[in-house]
Amino acid sequence: MIKNYFKIAWRNLWKGRVFNLMNITGLAVAVACCTLIFLTVYYEFSYDNFHDKLDRIYQVYNVANRPKGVEKNSAMPIPMASAFKAEYPAVKYVTRSGNMGGVVTYGNQKVDGDIHFVDPDFLKMFSFPLVQGNRNAALSELNSAVITEKAAKKIFGSKPALNQTIIINSNNEEKPFLVTGVAKDYPSNSSITFDILVRFEHFPQYKVEKNNWDSRSHIVLAEFNEGYNPQNFSKQIKSFVNKYYAGDIKNLKRDGAKPDANGDIFTLALAPFANNHFNNDIGGVEGDAISKTYPLSLVVIGCFILLIACINFINLSVARGFTRAREVGVRKTLGAGKWQLLTQFWVETIMVCFASTVVGLLLCTLLINQFKAMFKSKISLAMLLEPAHLAGIVVMFLAVTAIAGFYPALMMVRYKTVAVLKGKISGGKPGKLRNTLLVIQFTLSTLLIICTIITWQQISYLSNKPLGYNKTEVLSIPVGQNAKGSDALQLMRNELRNNSNVESVSGAYMNMGKGNDGSSMRSVLGFIYHDREVRTHLQRIDYDYIKTLDIKLLDGREFDSKFGNDSTGLVINESMARELGGKNLIGSTLPIMGGESPAHIIGIVKNFNFQSLHDDIEPLTMTMLKDFEINYIFVKVKPGNLVGAFDNIKSNWHRLYPNAEFKASWLNENTERQYLSERRLSGIFVSGAVLAIIISCIGLLAISIMMVVQRNKEIGIRKVLGANVLGIVMMLSQDFMKLVLVAAILSFPVAWWVMSHWLQSFAYRVDIHWWVFALSTALALILAFVTISFQSIKAAIANPVKSLRSE
Amino acid sequence: MLSLKQVSKYYNTGSNKTYVLNKVDLDVDQGEFVSIMGPSGSGKSTLLNIIGMLDQPSEGYMYFLNEPVHQLKEKQRSALYKQNIGFVFQAYHLIDELTVYENIETPLLYQDVKSAERKALVADALDRFNIVGKKDLFPAQLSGGQQQLVGIARALISKPKLLLADEPTGNLNSKQGEEIMELFKKLNQEDKVTIIQVTHSEKNAQYGSRIINLLDGKIDSTVIL
Ligand SMILES: Nc1ncnc2c1ncn2[C@@H]1O[C@H](COP(=O)(O)OP(=O)(O)OP(=O)(O)O)[C@@H](O)[C@H]1O
Ligand SMILES: [Mg+2]
Repeated sequence: MIKNYFKIAWRNLWKGRVFNLMNITGLAVAVACCTLIFLTVYYEFSYDNFHDKLDRIYQVYNVANRPKGVEKNSAMPIPMASAFKAEYPAVKYVTRSGNMGGVVTYGNQKVDGDIHFVDPDFLKMFSFPLVQGNRNAALSELNSAVITEKAAKKIFGSKPALNQTIIINSNNEEKPFLVTGVAKDYPSNSSITFDILVRFEHFPQYKVEKNNWDSRSHIVLAEFNEGYNPQNFSKQIKSFVNKYYAGDIKNLKRDGAKPDANGDIFTLALAPFANNHFNNDIGGVEGDAISKTYPLSLVVIGCFILLIACINFINLSVARGFTRAREVGVRKTLGAGKWQLLTQFWVETIMVCFASTVVGLLLCTLLINQFKAMFKSKISLAMLLEPAHLAGIVVMFLAVTAIAGFYPALMMVRYKTVAVLKGKISGGKPGKLRNTLLVIQFTLSTLLIICTIITWQQISYLSNKPLGYNKTEVLSIPVGQNAKGSDALQLMRNELRNNSNVESVSGAYMNMGKGNDGSSMRSVLGFIYHDREVRTHLQRIDYDYIKTLDIKLLDGREFDSKFGNDSTGLVINESMARELGGKNLIGSTLPIMGGESPAHIIGIVKNFNFQSLHDDIEPLTMTMLKDFEINYIFVKVKPGNLVGAFDNIKSNWHRLYPNAEFKASWLNENTERQYLSERRLSGIFVSGAVLAIIISCIGLLAISIMMVVQRNKEIGIRKVLGANVLGIVMMLSQDFMKLVLVAAILSFPVAWWVMSHWLQSFAYRVDIHWWVFALSTALALILAFVTISFQSIKAAIANPVKSLRSE
Repeated sequence: MLSLKQVSKYYNTGSNKTYVLNKVDLDVDQGEFVSIMGPSGSGKSTLLNIIGMLDQPSEGYMYFLNEPVHQLKEKQRSALYKQNIGFVFQAYHLIDELTVYENIETPLLYQDVKSAERKALVADALDRFNIVGKKDLFPAQLSGGQQQLVGIARALISKPKLLLADEPTGNLNSKQGEEIMELFKKLNQEDKVTIIQVTHSEKNAQYGSRIINLLDGKIDSTVIL
């Protein structure tokens, strides 16, 4: 019987091969992209799940209820971790954690490495098993270092690493370390990344700030006792906060901070480490946290595409079902039971689904590399073989066959035998179901088109908005770990003085945008000015900064080597001037850096976007204080020959630093890089929209073929009665056009809501215009019309005699 | 073997009921060969479909092999039908996608007959109706008469006690029709199959043992031959 089912199924599929091919194509595309999407999403959600005690590890951050709103910050003072462990009983282990690049020297070998500064508890909390060395003792000595297998291979080659001494140069300090452990390479879905673990005591500024509760530079992670419930944390930690953060609380009170629901102005809070990969809310975490919007929008689009493909399947099966009504009737008279008939149709569905899955997975292997590049996905097809994923595929397969196959089968089985045999059902009305499903398909498609257009608009707005500085002709060179920034700047100045391409050279603590080094820092500082706290971003710059970046000076002057006392001067931006209030600010002194060295304002510049366009322009103060290192050198070149200038400057750099990488990039590259996640989202929308439209149109095409077959006789009669081609094409398209229009209108509110939500995350954003909706609707209508036209025109120009004769 | 009591069938057209069958009483004994006649629209097909359980009466009772069909559940009715009734149609209603062999075999599949037994039964039937040479052809490749022969072979494959035929010769020429009628007669007399046929042909009706005339959904007259 089973064999028979398959035999019959195969013959039927072959007979309807045009439809089934369309069905398979649509479904295969859906399977391919859903596989890629769901693997990616799974990967993103699998971050850090290899840690055995994941659910007991939390990151501590502080919450300040500032008058302007809640501010979360994860930077902690150095003495905090040990005090926390000592005074909060539920803490089992605690570690501070900071990250820095460094150069590792072993013999003649010099290797760049990612240095992680942690406390000994680190290895007890996190599952980074050691292949050599003792986990409990590996970091017990101050000069211990634990390196990964990969790093060991780079540094030592095939020689044993354990008990070797290496020199690490980080933050311009050289220190010897003894390798006391080799850690197994961690999986790629780890938020915590490192080449070498060393004790936190080596972290920059450690000795100076050891007992300072006001300087905050690193994050703190804690493991709690089993069964710990973080619910009452903020209540339990109150006395601790009052004891150590009295200064913060006092300042906040003075500035008019409002207590939150618990009556706290300033408090500590816990963020579960399990959610670390998506925690972009608290300022700093291990690794690069991403917004959940990204995997979630992928899931949504994956579901959309699967839904659209299933709808095709249902619509096509139902349409095909009408032509097979007689067969069902006959089989019933031959004694077929309901389940036997259902099984027969189901077998057909399963065969189509199976073919689609196979083709889809093949497509997957073809597309995976492009997909990985486009969405920065680290998935591999080998992941499909994990039992959980295999089970997932089987479940999805069954679900699709059930949803897409069962309904049409059930509908066919329910036909009234007598009516069918009389030939009454063979024609078949379009049906509410088909229309509803078509509307759903096109609602989703139009929705995605609208999202595509708006994200695209916003991104081009972000790229083209003038930022208040020159981003095309200025090159930013990260200094890196090989040199001291101020020295490098001085050397480059001298080196480039005679370079005809170069207009000016300067340097700064913070980059503009995101450079090739990928790091971003910011420094926010508060001080009391006229009995009120003023908060400002602080930027250390050097001579000619304003000139190099083409920032407009409104008042005063910029730093100039001709003036002797410029190390205590300040250049502020308009927002800062507004924050300070009052006129004639030039010459006023500000007690920055704790007031030990009062500084005076020497210049005011026009506002420029020193942060990404997600944020408004906040108060900014620029100094030449030596406490901040120069991390980036800025070079402005003459317009015209940018490529030549780049190579030129590169050779200058290499003459000075033969071993250091030249990681320079133009500022507009840096600013573009700030919107990578937006580009990615827009990429998701574009691909989603294209796929949705293609699959929907495949479905529409198949339905229109079916419709033309069904209405062949009517078309023939109408032509004989004198209808022209256009009239017939219109008649056949009309109903579908109406459905697409309804679908488009239904998508408007959803699209508007989703997109205005997304745009909220930008301080600078485009408005949503009505024409976007009109354009998307027009696009959907045109595509649908063209799709239907293939069939309707063919039917309309066919010789009517033919169609009538065959009846 | 078959007994209809006060069977009616009506359709709701607008506000009032249109009776297609009106309180029909009918008894058929084992081994009879009944012909139903009547003008077009008189309800012949409707009556036959009700007897064949393809359709259900709006009112009334029906007993088949002493089972009260009107009380049976879908599943029981289906089982009763499968084992005891064969149907032959005017339009043959062979399944286009199946070969002659497979068409004949299909009812056996639905009765879970073992493969070896199936083979033997189908081979027998092909032999008996003289269509062995045609077994691998599809319906579209056969003439009308041959198709109807296959239809009859298919209806008889599971050895039903009752054969129902709705104008089995309607689409055939008179010679083909005659052959089919001879076949029916033989089946009735030699194999003791009870037959109820609907026909428009006075001549074909004569092959039976009883003629029932329907008029406006009522039995107008009965002639015993
Ligand atoms: N679904 C329905 N709704 C309303 N009336 C129906 C329906 N089906 C059948 N009828 C009516 O029932 C009547 C009897 O139909 P039936 O097919 O039994 O006639 P018949 O005697 O077999 O005619 P013919 O000799 O033409 O085959 C017809 O008048 C027909 O219009
Ligand atoms: Mg009839």
